[in-house]
Amino acid sequence: MKRVRFVLAVVLLAAFYAASWHLAKVEPGKLLTGLPKMAGWATKAWPPATDELPILLQRTAETIAMAAIGTTAAALLALPVCVLAARNVTPSMAVYYPARWFLNALRGVDSFVFALLFVAAVGLGPFAGVLGIALHTWGSTAKLWAEAIENIPPGPLEAAAATGASRVKVLAFALFPDVAPNMASVGLFWWEFNVRASTVLGVVGAGGIGQELKNSMDLLLFPRLLTIIVLILVTVTVIDQASAWLRRRLE
Amino acid sequence: MSDATEVIRASGLAKRYPPRVDALADVSLVVHRGEFVAILGPSGAGKTTLFRCLTGLTRPDAGAVNVRGHEVSALRGRALRTARREVALIFQQFNLVRRLSALQNVLVGRLADAPTWRVLARRFSRADREHALRCLDTVGLREKADTRADQLSGGQQQRVAIARALAQDARVILADEPVASLDPESAATVLECLRTAVATGVAVVASLHQVPYACAYADRIVALRDGRVVRDVHAAGIDPRTLEHIYGKNGGPAA
Repeated sequence: MKRVRFVLAVVLLAAFYAASWHLAKVEPGKLLTGLPKMAGWATKAWPPATDELPILLQRTAETIAMAAIGTTAAALLALPVCVLAARNVTPSMAVYYPARWFLNALRGVDSFVFALLFVAAVGLGPFAGVLGIALHTWGSTAKLWAEAIENIPPGPLEAAAATGASRVKVLAFALFPDVAPNMASVGLFWWEFNVRASTVLGVVGAGGIGQELKNSMDLLLFPRLLTIIVLILVTVTVIDQASAWLRRRLE
Repeated sequence: MSDATEVIRASGLAKRYPPRVDALADVSLVVHRGEFVAILGPSGAGKTTLFRCLTGLTRPDAGAVNVRGHEVSALRGRALRTARREVALIFQQFNLVRRLSALQNVLVGRLADAPTWRVLARRFSRADREHALRCLDTVGLREKADTRADQLSGGQQQRVAIARALAQDARVILADEPVASLDPESAATVLECLRTAVATGVAVVASLHQVPYACAYADRIVALRDGRVVRDVHAAGIDPRTLEHIYGKNGGPAA
């Protein structure tokens, strides 16, 4: 019986990968012929173009700003919802489930997809990116915060509630200090994540360095492309390190 | 209320958790101001259920709880919250907010009275802060005011919890196993602090596991067994051995 199950599992797994291989149209031959082409671009890309550095730096700043505004807006929106979506402090299960569904819906749609919709609604530019980041991050942050709240010990809340204090006071004074470092850490993580994510938002026309990346690729301006890739790598590394350092300090 | 010094009157309390036997079968208890009542009894005697009924956390199937004129067993929502201000709770696990200082934890006792904006801004009035400091002083921890709760020893944390109860201006302190997780020395200090509270006119009801503690610190001893009061006696001059038999041969009190 055990043996039959094992064989069956192997067969199913093999079928799954065979189907996936076919659907993903994997053709290693194409990669082999394509590699020399990429190598040719790499040689053409050297030396990187520096003449447009000021505008590229401005675009990089735009990307960081999009992430900062989008993440902050998401955090402000997440604050009330995470209380509704945490099982141990929600006012009622009738609010808890809709809050969870709502957050899952926001989380299920990538900021890239949201940005695509907002470009159509509010036009090209970084604002569409900000809105995209804000909506997706709202769902993700609130869910993680709700989980942080669910993990705190119930005793101190019970003790504070037993003094006859209202719910808002109990949450603000006895719950918030306990979860604040964790919440700040989650917020920083999402800011860092969004800086990385928003480097590509420009591809759909939502502003930032990604837009320059797409333009350069479309026009085959390889030295400019190289400059942009270096800028992205440096920015993402610096932000990652800064965020990691800040999060360590919170613990 | 029949008597002006009465702070708690529980009568005919019964609570059944089906399909188990009765947690409380028939418990009546009167506590006066400035009185320290120790509740003794083996596990399963109904001590915790009795405490939950006294605070309104559990509704008894029969009987009534009256705390300073509030019919706790019949209240809900806002009215229950108002009634709870009169009663402070002390827990076995202290239940302080770990990341707040000792003083801030004492200020938790002021939450109900403080305006909401002050709580949100974490700016308590001068009067509240001075009151909280005096309460810390009462339990001998004024110099620990700025120490974070999770940096204090168990005994110190429980004394901060008592200060929190005092800051609440409660007339009754209900302590469910307040010293069960403390070493003997800390336990003695904590019980001393409860005695100090009693001296200011507060009534204390504490469940204790050890008969010697009850004899040394309480004014009255109420022994529960199988959800019934089997003894209700003055602690003064009692022979500990007469109490020990209520635990039976197997369920002796933890030494």
